Amino acid sequence: MKILIIEDEIELLTAISNYLTRENFICELAESFTKAQEKTAVYEYDIILLDITLPDGNGLELISTIKKYNSKAGVIILSAKNSLDDKITGLDLGADDYLTKPFQLSELNSRINALLRRRNYAGSNMVIFNELKINTDGKAVYIGDKQLTLTRKEYDILLFLIINQNRVLTKEAIAEHLWDDNIDLADSYDFIYTHLNNIRKKIKAAGGNDYIKTLYGMGYKFTDQ
Amino acid sequence: MKLLTKFNRNYLLLFSATLVLLSFSGYYILTLILKANTRENLLLREVNIKRQIAETGIIPEFRPFIEVTRLNSITRENPIFRQITIYNDEEKESEDYIEYSNTITINETCYLIRIREASVESEDLAFSIAIAIFLLLSATFMISYVITKRLNKTIWHVFETNLDEIERYDFRELSAINLNSANIEEFDRLNLAVTNLTNKLRKDFMAMKEFSENASHELQSPLAIALINLEEILQQDLNKETFAKVITAITAVKRLSTLNQNLLLLTRIENDQFGSSEKISFTKLIEKKIIEFEPLYKAKNLHLNLDSNAEFYASMSTHNANILFNNLISNAINHNIANGSINITIEKDKITICNTGVPNELTNDSVFSRFTKGTSKSYGLGLAIVKQICLKSNLDIKYTKGDHHCFIITPAIERH
Repeated sequence: MKILIIEDEIELLTAISNYLTRENFICELAESFTKAQEKTAVYEYDIILLDITLPDGNGLELISTIKKYNSKAGVIILSAKNSLDDKITGLDLGADDYLTKPFQLSELNSRINALLRRRNYAGSNMVIFNELKINTDGKAVYIGDKQLTLTRKEYDILLFLIINQNRVLTKEAIAEHLWDDNIDLADSYDFIYTHLNNIRKKIKAAGGNDYIKTLYGMGYKFTDQ
Repeated sequence: MKLLTKFNRNYLLLFSATLVLLSFSGYYILTLILKANTRENLLLREVNIKRQIAETGIIPEFRPFIEVTRLNSITRENPIFRQITIYNDEEKESEDYIEYSNTITINETCYLIRIREASVESEDLAFSIAIAIFLLLSATFMISYVITKRLNKTIWHVFETNLDEIERYDFRELSAINLNSANIEEFDRLNLAVTNLTNKLRKDFMAMKEFSENASHELQSPLAIALINLEEILQQDLNKETFAKVITAITAVKRLSTLNQNLLLLTRIENDQFGSSEKISFTKLIEKKIIEFEPLYKAKNLHLNLDSNAEFYASMSTHNANILFNNLISNAINHNIANGSINITIEKDKITICNTGVPNELTNDSVFSRFTKGTSKSYGLGLAIVKQICLKSNLDIKYTKGDHHCFIITPAIERH
């Protein structure tokens, strides 16, 4: 999978690209509007991450170029502005998703994967982790042949964990993945613990392994290592 | 009261008072003058009578105007003037006279002289003249009143149009205020002052708006960098102590970012920067929100009752409506006690959201101010945002506490 990252903050650009490279994506970088325009006009990408506030132009204007030369590419807008207008304009112009800064890499990864699944890349509607199988089209989870009965939130958490496997996730990161930015979650993280326990029980009951590791009671990691 | 009305009213009152005063004093002065004149006439007539008696010895008699009586003894009385009433047999009515009486001695004979003049005539004259003065003055006043009124209207016209312009002017608009010149020094000075003031306001507002937009970008990017790097550190093999420190740092960065976003949100709501209003059913919205929040209140083991028996409609942007109930419902959850309850009642013109909670020191005023957060871990901006949204959408929100902490939303009473 080839990803173009358009972002004028060099540190952010490097951090995102390092992370995505580790996740086995091929990353190309553009730190200005001009450079991004050149690249999108010449090369093909599967995913384009687009910062809309660039020093030499408005990222929203790039979307039309992208749609012209890179019609297959999925576009995720990265914006510092939590602005509804920008969000609506961006999505109207043909962007697929909108992520507000600051975001966590696990959330970015989850959005990229969701986008790839939506774009129906071969076999991408199946997420498999050892004996666990998730059919994302029907939102169904299987252990072998047995289907698990999960609530909507449990399903969302499990998918988020598997997409970000082998990665330490905080309670906050999981909670924020489930609710939109505008909800003040202040001290409501307890439910994550409850949900994770329910997921563990249901997987165990169906004969699966417990892959959810708790780290010092403060973080979680989905891993078989 | 309008300045002109006030001016005209005072003008009329003052003029009426002056008119009455002038007429009365005119009448009084005229009466005095006429009286003095009469006395002079009577004295002159006395001289003539004396002369006639001395020269001819004939005693003049012309009742009731002249009466001369020869006295037997020699008496001396001082001359006096007095007001008398004499009954007229022919006309069968009493008439008022001014009488002058004196004793004079001519050729060693003493006479009592009484000379009279009717006083009614002079009073009538004084009255007629007073009326004439009154009418003349009234006419002058009326004419001057009408002229002043006309003049005032033209002079104040420019002022009125400019005032309308100032009332209509919104400094959030891009254009500067446009006031007409009146060619009157004071008014033009006022125009200049208002124009300068609004220009400054407009410039400051633009600068503030630009600042809040830029601040968002400039602050969120470094926060994003910090957050991503902290998240990467978290992936390393850390001991418990370091792990906890990184988690604390991540939470702090997230807090900073949320705080920043909420402050910007508040500013943007205050500046009406969120799309157009539409008619929204709060009943449907609340039902949707309850489903969304279910895992959150269930995790705290809270019991939620929804009593909705009517549709409550309000006009605002969907963005603001969502934030309004996100904040109110998360508030009811965050400030609740374990195993507590949340009761939401929706009526046609009233929404009540009540929750159990611990006693606090908050009042209806303080609960909505920024950074009032009691004991919770929240940011103290949620309810300030709620208040602002209600204010902008013509809704009233009230906080009451008793057994439960309640927020009551009602349509605002029209204010102008």
